[in-house]
Amino acid sequence: MLSRVANNLFWMDRYMERSYGLLNLIKTNYNSTLDTGDYDSWNGILRSYMGVDKNISNENYQDSISVIDYMIFNNSNPNTLINMITKARENARSVQEHISREIWISINKYFLKITDKKFYKYYKKNDPIDFINELTQFHHIYYSVADISQERGNAFCFMNLGKYFERILQSIDFLSVKIDILESSKNDLNESYFWKNLLISIGGYQLYIKTYKSIFNVENIIEMITINQFFPRSIKFSVDKLYSHITRLNEFNKPENNGLIFLTGKMKNELTYTSISSIKEEGLKNFVYKIQYDLNSISKEINNTYFYQNI
Amino acid sequence: MKLVQNYSQYPEMFDEMFDKKGITRDIYKNFEKFLNRSSVKNLNNMKEFAQQFFMNQGVTFTVYDNDEGVEKIFPFDIIPRIISYSDWKIIESGIKQRITALNLFIKDIYHEQFILNDNIIPAELIISNPNYLREMRNINVPNDIYTHISGIDLIRNEDGKFFVLEDNLRTPSGVSYMLENREITRRLYPEMIPQEKVQSISDYPNLLYNKLKSLSNKKNPVVVMLTPGLYNSAYYEHTALARLMGVELVEGSDLVVDNHYVFMKTAGGLKTVDVIYRRIDDDFLDPLNFKVDSVLGVAGIMDSFRQGNVILINCPGAGIADDKAIYTYVPDMISYYLNEEPILENIKTYKLTNKDEKEYVLKNIDKLVLKRTDGSGGYGMLMGKSATQDEIDKYKLKIKKEPEMYIAQPTLNLSTSPCLIENSLHPRCVDLRPFAIYGSDGIEVCPGGLSRVALKKGSLVVNSSQGGGSKDTWIVKN
Repeated sequence: MLSRVANNLFWMDRYMERSYGLLNLIKTNYNSTLDTGDYDSWNGILRSYMGVDKNISNENYQDSISVIDYMIFNNSNPNTLINMITKARENARSVQEHISREIWISINKYFLKITDKKFYKYYKKNDPIDFINELTQFHHIYYSVADISQERGNAFCFMNLGKYFERILQSIDFLSVKIDILESSKNDLNESYFWKNLLISIGGYQLYIKTYKSIFNVENIIEMITINQFFPRSIKFSVDKLYSHITRLNEFNKPENNGLIFLTGKMKNELTYTSISSIKEEGLKNFVYKIQYDLNSISKEINNTYFYQNI
Repeated sequence: MKLVQNYSQYPEMFDEMFDKKGITRDIYKNFEKFLNRSSVKNLNNMKEFAQQFFMNQGVTFTVYDNDEGVEKIFPFDIIPRIISYSDWKIIESGIKQRITALNLFIKDIYHEQFILNDNIIPAELIISNPNYLREMRNINVPNDIYTHISGIDLIRNEDGKFFVLEDNLRTPSGVSYMLENREITRRLYPEMIPQEKVQSISDYPNLLYNKLKSLSNKKNPVVVMLTPGLYNSAYYEHTALARLMGVELVEGSDLVVDNHYVFMKTAGGLKTVDVIYRRIDDDFLDPLNFKVDSVLGVAGIMDSFRQGNVILINCPGAGIADDKAIYTYVPDMISYYLNEEPILENIKTYKLTNKDEKEYVLKNIDKLVLKRTDGSGGYGMLMGKSATQDEIDKYKLKIKKEPEMYIAQPTLNLSTSPCLIENSLHPRCVDLRPFAIYGSDGIEVCPGGLSRVALKKGSLVVNSSQGGGSKDTWIVKN
């Protein structure tokens, strides 16, 4: 497989995963504003997800609607949904001979939908949740179609590398943002809606309730997001996935140096022997920083090994 | 009933479906029955379905407007263009004959140049021609084949006879539209295609792959397709052919030449490439040998080709044979190399290098169409009939400056075919581009081709860059 193609497949899935995360976040935050009327909460999301630094006035329901409009449809910010889907689709378009026809059609239909002017008008008139659910459906179709139609070769592994890499980054971003809030806020954050929304936005609410029975406890939540091996968005789960795809890529392509598999294996094992008490001992901030550092090294190694080799 | 009855033909043109009296031709009889039992609403639904199909499959090109890319499909007309099998047999043998002669011509002018020495073609026409590549002199190419993939543009005059309008021997495009058009008409007319014994074209990608493969000595050569990239207007076609053949679609930056061998950069390291179906023009192919500022090509690829380490499809320099000035000599080539009469004739063409013919052209400019010999896509043309005096005067000046760059042809009559336009059937001009592949075991012409349609009323220009569309072409054996 061409290095450029591998790189494009990686980014195709990164963009898809990131878009999915964004949609979930928008939905949860919108929901939470319905309970609390805290329209200011959009500013945190605008900062961390859109790279918008200045605070925009967010005072009422209409502001919520225009922030959502911005995050989904704005053409000039590269981090908006419409721009990420356009890029995912461009990547898909350039690797059509490597992905199943079904994957291509599912992304292309998504792209056509979101760029359709009629759809925009429809959005303006309807309940945002309904509308976000409709967009989320495209991601669900994409994930399932990729699962049942893509052969388990190089392409599938590079796609998954992108997907899980992005997923870990998102979970980390999440933790960092919440740490900041925990540190800076004087409010009693044990209010249940705060934790509930946090968990809902990464799809872990149900599992949490089943495991810990509705008692919101910071330690339990951190444990679930970092080292739970059954939660598909935990860091541990995603690193395990990264490792297994990197192992397969190693078998397929037999790269000359083993740096990548070494680094990922090390990270995987470190997480295996991490417990919530060791995180507490180390400090959550340091723990998150270490994960970020490891991911950076892995990202560099992926580039050197597969995308931009020195020849 | 109404649909067919209200059809009013263009005067002085051959209509594919109806004869001059308005009676349906035999090959369209079944199709007429279909039209008679269909409502306009039904046809419009079919049209809508076809458009949606092309959009979802991504059979599109991007138009940039205010930095915003808008996806467009090439206009498609749902009414098929039907050609009888007996007509097709003539077309097929005519194209094979023509390509054989053109290929012998290319080999000759890059080697011994018999045809120039025997004064069949004036030497200055070749030597001064920008498409003549000196880099190709005395290079032997595998199986002596230069024009592996070609598309020959045909039109029909008022008697329904087929003529050759143009040969496309560089990187003829449109074959993916031929394939997609059939994909959709199979769905639109599920019963009629088998009933009418419409000749299948779905084999084209396999045929193409096998012909490409057959050119290499290796048992399992690595074949790739080279594209200028995502922003090329024919990018859809490049992805479709690579996908259907199961080969890598590479860009110039994916390839590298080392020790006169071509490699592609893969996740598993460098991999040798043996055959390249390139969709990049000669000029941009190799910055070391041609345009130095080309970023689309691969440095050193031409040297690798000259050493015989890689096969380029079509061969560089093949474009000399599809030049509009050379076109006028193709019948002479057929008799010179093959000692045969041309099966498909040329359109009468006046050479402006010939004194008498030039005089005739300047006097009768209002009855003629003038073209630049190196132009394509309908650019640089002068339609004598509709041009203003000012335009004619300007054009005359250009001809005086470089007469060898221009040719003139009588105003063409294309044939017309019914199209569904705004709820009823209207005649629109069509041409036909069949596609031929030349491999080590001979030439094959895919039974069908791309019928391009001039969708503007009265227009003769079918090029997609000038508002043209296309329709499916059925070769019926029934």
